[in-house]
Amino acid sequence: MLRIDRRIIFVVIGLCTLLPLLYPVGLPIKISPEVRGVYDYIEKLPEGSVFLLSLDFDPASKPELHPQAIAILRHAFRQNLRVVAMTLWLTGTGMADQLVTQVAKEMGKEKGKDYVFLGWSPGGAAIIINMGQDLYTSFPSDYNGKPTKGQPVLDGVQNLKDVSYAISLAAGNPGVEAWYVYGKDKYKFELGGGCTGVIAPGLYPLLRSGQINGLIGGLRGAAEYESLIGQKGRAVAGMDAQSATHAAIVVLVVLCNLFYFSMRQQVRQQRQVR
Amino acid sequence: MDATTLGAWVATGLTLFILSFLYKDNPLFKLAEHLYVGVSVGYTIVKAYDTVLVHLILKPIFEQGEVTLLIPVAIGSLMLTRYVPKASWLSRYAFAFIVGVGSGLAIPRTISSFILKQIEDTVRPVMVLVPGEGLSFSWNVLSPTSSLNVIIILIGVSSVLFYFFFSVEHTGPGRAVARTGILFLMIAFGAAFGYTVMARMSLLIGRLTDLIEFSDPSYGRPTIWLLLLTVGSMIYLNRRRQGTPPDAQ
Repeated sequence: MLRIDRRIIFVVIGLCTLLPLLYPVGLPIKISPEVRGVYDYIEKLPEGSVFLLSLDFDPASKPELHPQAIAILRHAFRQNLRVVAMTLWLTGTGMADQLVTQVAKEMGKEKGKDYVFLGWSPGGAAIIINMGQDLYTSFPSDYNGKPTKGQPVLDGVQNLKDVSYAISLAAGNPGVEAWYVYGKDKYKFELGGGCTGVIAPGLYPLLRSGQINGLIGGLRGAAEYESLIGQKGRAVAGMDAQSATHAAIVVLVVLCNLFYFSMRQQVRQQRQVR
Repeated sequence: MDATTLGAWVATGLTLFILSFLYKDNPLFKLAEHLYVGVSVGYTIVKAYDTVLVHLILKPIFEQGEVTLLIPVAIGSLMLTRYVPKASWLSRYAFAFIVGVGSGLAIPRTISSFILKQIEDTVRPVMVLVPGEGLSFSWNVLSPTSSLNVIIILIGVSSVLFYFFFSVEHTGPGRAVARTGILFLMIAFGAAFGYTVMARMSLLIGRLTDLIEFSDPSYGRPTIWLLLLTVGSMIYLNRRRQGTPPDAQ
């Protein structure tokens, strides 16, 4: 077992992922307090509040963060919030524009009136400070080149202090941490986070200390959010596969340990015989 | 063939080529890998040129007459002097500016956000004074602010900090504290690894979901045809390699 061909493990994991996707079981999804934190805050925002969504990821993290973004945007549009979307990742601009436009169209929202996609601006985390001083100097025009000043969706918005709630969906840096350090801590708006599974453990200290009011972690978090808004999508569909692969990995870890200890026992016994 | 269908064929083909690496390294994987790197770099250059050079520099200067933008442009251009050995010293001014501004912005904000706020959270009071009820102690492990969790975090932080304190030999009671620190570190690494596994599996789920979607006749079943092509190519490449004399490989 310890010398098993790694390709057999790949096949096992592949089958554990593929079969539940083809034949879903529909395992229950429990909502965690950190995901509910984000949902409840958006739910309580009054109509017309300014909601900033920073899509800080690129296509490499699409399977985890795309479902999160779709679920949050659907919720924000349903609450009739004014959505201001942007990205701190240059390689994610095209995907982010497509995502925002697709959900807005689905929810019957109008560009410039109900939402705007600002696109990307250079500077990384420094752009957040710039936005805190004046949003229009950081983004003089939106992604399609239309001047941001005068767009109805940005009425009364001068800088980050006028934002009611911001969420960063991050696959790394700049992301949630940058938005806290250069944004919330300085300009005092409420901040939530969404992230890939890899960076989630690093963001829990921010959640515990109240520096962010909620955290949507990985595909699991996206599935919870989809369940909360009652529109099940790709994340919920992937949860059976996720559970099956996790079970397979746990079984493999236990088996390998059992074989390892039994082999060690055998070696000891052979030494004693000699 | 419309753009969506063409996109489905390209995405399916590249996914299968990349996944073929799980069997063994092969030219199909190399093709997809190089395409990924090339497309990423190309996309970045084009977007940076369009956003920065055209929309943030050239248009404001020539159409709106914002000549003050020439100052950051001049500082930024100094970076390019690194390609001219005799004038490369000029780039130091640009670097000095970036390092100075960057440090000035980052140091106070990072200390405030990650050190002071986290210390404040770690040394939270264990007992809470409830009006009319006196001091209360909460045992709820699931609540991040419960008294029990405050104690666990305090023990964890102190023991891990002690483990990384190498000026004192970890013997006697110190050994027990250092061992506790290791225990907390192991739990943290385990949690991080668990989340990493979850993330990687999510990526696989994402690709397989797309492959299932693209096996639909409306796309022309690219998953099935390209899977056959990939498997066929792998078999052919394997046979050709077996037929090649060892010194020619």
